[in-house]
Amino acid sequence: MAIRWPLFIRRTHKWLALFVGVQAAIWAASGMYMVAVHIDYIHGDHLVRTPEMTGQDLSGLVPPADVAARDAGTREVKLQQLLGKPVWKVSSEQGAYIVDARSGERIPELDKSLAVEIASSLYTGEPEIVSARLLDEAPQEMGSRKPPFWRIQFEGWNEPTFYISPTTGELIGRRHNLWRIFDIAWMLHIMDYDERSDVNNPLLRVATWSVVAMALAGAWLLYWSFPRRKKKKKVKAVA
Amino acid sequence: MKMESSIKARKSVFTHILWRKIHKWVGLILGLQFVLWSISGAVMALLDAEKVGGHAAPAPAPAISMDETAGPVGSLGSVEAISFRQLADRPVYELTAQGETKVVDARTLEPVEIDKGLAERVAREAFGHETALVSVDRLEKANLEARGHGGPIWRLDFADEENSSSYVSATTGRPLVNRGDTWRTFDFVWMLHNMDYVNRTSFNHPLIIFVAFGTLWLAFTGFYLLFKSFRRREFNWILGRKRTR
Repeated sequence: MAIRWPLFIRRTHKWLALFVGVQAAIWAASGMYMVAVHIDYIHGDHLVRTPEMTGQDLSGLVPPADVAARDAGTREVKLQQLLGKPVWKVSSEQGAYIVDARSGERIPELDKSLAVEIASSLYTGEPEIVSARLLDEAPQEMGSRKPPFWRIQFEGWNEPTFYISPTTGELIGRRHNLWRIFDIAWMLHIMDYDERSDVNNPLLRVATWSVVAMALAGAWLLYWSFPRRKKKKKVKAVA
Repeated sequence: MKMESSIKARKSVFTHILWRKIHKWVGLILGLQFVLWSISGAVMALLDAEKVGGHAAPAPAPAISMDETAGPVGSLGSVEAISFRQLADRPVYELTAQGETKVVDARTLEPVEIDKGLAERVAREAFGHETALVSVDRLEKANLEARGHGGPIWRLDFADEENSSSYVSATTGRPLVNRGDTWRTFDFVWMLHNMDYVNRTSFNHPLIIFVAFGTLWLAFTGFYLLFKSFRRREFNWILGRKRTR
């Protein structure tokens, strides 16, 4: 028996669509969101003030070699600013910390008021604080970053939130509601509903190849979907 | 069946016939990109993210060797940025003054030239290469593989299975990135996916927004048409009923 190709392909397209159609719609919708909202905005570039590059006279500072000499595991000693004051950021095998570059004294972990002050000085909007908490466990939105951090949330429709390292005073994350929606869109796009990061999960692999088959069958169907002139007349006559 | 639908169509324009037509025409115009999106998406899901790499940081720099006293920094004057670290076998200062970045030996304060040999040592330490070096090139600015990094850059090709290329900054001697064949395949399909055929970086350009909007139509009209395309008897095999006719 000869296969009736148009029927066979239409059935394939239809049945594949029945199983992955919802996911195809979710891909289209989540993809649309991700392309429509600019990634720099998602990253929260607009929330953070870029500090001016100012020259720093090194003669009044404790030499970085002296700072490094105190800790045998030191990998790098780098000049940074902490609320306008010069500090040495030490990256060591034991972790990172900061040292007052003028006195040479190690700066203890930041308390709440200092963390809030740093966050406010970096924020481009009106720094009205909604909450400030020290987290020992990373929330979903900080994913792979290593806690602890100060979570400082500002007033605003998109709930802008800064994460400040208590050990170095650095801004290590910025989140807002459009970022959070993006993260959900990404989760739906890669179909990893737990970690939101595994792009090689079996569910995604099966779904993507099914949609490839559906799309190719759909493309094939187009061949029969545009009747040639002769056929068209016939249809019109019936109508 | 066809007759019936056509008669209904006279009453209202918004029947599934209209949606089927929209689905068909949008499919004709944007179908190729839909196919490319699904194929490139499927390939990206298939390529092992570990092998693709690109997100993992290079191995951490070695601890600073403290056997010799580093020179005083006071004589370096005013700088915008300074960092004290280990570069291969010696401690160095990496400093930026008047917008220009350079590396000086921490003991003598003499400029350090990042030559081929030093770049190779850095690349081997940072990316764990053990195979032979095939070729070394100096790039004045980043190529497509090292995009996002400032030049000049050393490109070092190694004779491993992945045909790895490591990139090391010729200004600071820092390891930048390592690319292999899996990454190259991934990057090609990623280009097909994000439709930025020149720079391969942006997915927020007008072309993709336009096509994505069209595809949203394709997906949604298609989803709606599913309800019009199936008849109850097609589910008999699940419902356990006998085939009629």
